[in-house]
Amino acid sequence: MTVIEINDLQKSYRAHKALEGVTLTVERGEIFGILGPNGAGKTTVVECASGLRKPDGGTLRVLGMDPQKQRRALLQRIGAQLQEAALPDAIKVEEALRMYSSFYDKPADWQALMKEWGLTEKRRARFAGLSGGWKQRLFIALALVGNPEVVFLDELTTGLDPSARRMTWGLIRDMRDRGVTVVLVTHFMDEAAALCDRIAVIDQGRVVHQGSPGDLLSQGSSGSLDDAYFALIERTV
Amino acid sequence: MKGLGNVIAIELKLAMRDPMSAFFALAFPAVILWVKMRNGGTLPSGLPVIDAVVPMLSVFVIGLASLVILPATLAQYRERRVLKRLRATPASSSMIFGAQWVAHMLLAVLGAVLLAVIGLAVYDMGGPVDPAGLVLAWILGALSLGAIGLLIGAVVPSGRAASVIGLAIFFPMVFVSGAMSARETLPETMRSVGDLTPMAPAVQAVRAAWEGQPASPLTLVVMAAIFIVAGGIAVKAFRW
Repeated sequence: MTVIEINDLQKSYRAHKALEGVTLTVERGEIFGILGPNGAGKTTVVECASGLRKPDGGTLRVLGMDPQKQRRALLQRIGAQLQEAALPDAIKVEEALRMYSSFYDKPADWQALMKEWGLTEKRRARFAGLSGGWKQRLFIALALVGNPEVVFLDELTTGLDPSARRMTWGLIRDMRDRGVTVVLVTHFMDEAAALCDRIAVIDQGRVVHQGSPGDLLSQGSSGSLDDAYFALIERTV
Repeated sequence: MKGLGNVIAIELKLAMRDPMSAFFALAFPAVILWVKMRNGGTLPSGLPVIDAVVPMLSVFVIGLASLVILPATLAQYRERRVLKRLRATPASSSMIFGAQWVAHMLLAVLGAVLLAVIGLAVYDMGGPVDPAGLVLAWILGALSLGAIGLLIGAVVPSGRAASVIGLAIFFPMVFVSGAMSARETLPETMRSVGDLTPMAPAVQAVRAAWEGQPASPLTLVVMAAIFIVAGGIAVKAFRW
């Protein structure tokens, strides 16, 4: 079953064309990776899909809804951790979870969520005092606190050390195993290969590849996913 | 909205945890009270100074919370992308405004209650004569000045810029509007300028209720009008 359907999506920022006709579909229950170099338009796709940006053209359906016209209803059913988004420095972990759960009509039990994601020992820690790995853990819990069907994670692991990154991968797999569809924006081919059921590679506002990480590998000549990825990007530069 | 109480309680805690906010809303007005009361005595009208100073400083506290602390909080949330995260939830901008306003006004209530407690315990304060009128005047003052603070906080990109703008509006206004020195002791020209500021009706209404004088309908209407106009523009202009 398709949960996200994007057809010929167009978006410009003044003179700059960020998206020049992006088409992709995300199926229920998968981890879908969106890859591409900086400025390729990955974040714009996610921001359009979560109702934060208004596309200039094309069609876009998330859970059968128009993210612009049915934004409020859609936000009840999706979770998002957007790039560089943060919390107030002085807020405590349990306060953030309690506050965010109160925004939703049918929230998850935030205390159970706190326990499940291993945040209980940090419940009284302030956001500013958390390390990168703990912050990501909290962000994932916050993305799940509304009991969403789809979760968007934009560069969740950028800036994390390797062990925190690996731990975060485990958390994202746990999320999928609970039946949540995950859309993961990332720079890293190894991350996509480790996590994603399917990926779309976006470059200069267009999808240049869509399929499983294995499909991409079979296109390359060297047997390395990184090589196949960079061959794809360079070909379109 | 069911979550509003939750958000207000947390935002109030966050404001109290910020040393600058807590100092400005609670300690600073108490220090001014002490400075003002070193000579004590009565005003030319025979009113004990304490019964002019506590009501006017309560408006000073509303002004600080509304015009300085509130916009800085909102603008810092914008700068640090706290609002960006909230925008991806079903929380609405009016809910965020409402919660921020109530939380900061509760901070101001704490500051004002502290002033009243000191006034009663140390300086033999007499008022307020008309508590209901006082509450009405206080709420209207908080709505009108709060709406101006929300307007600043709705658009200013950084916390630092919001603090500078807030202080630049707040300080001249408290001096000329009679929130820092009793209106009746200000020079005529200063008072006529002060009467044009949005803080003046709050000072007049709060002091009138304190002394048990009838409220001037004009001051109440002016405050309600400021609230509607500034609040309306703030909601329209709000940037996440």
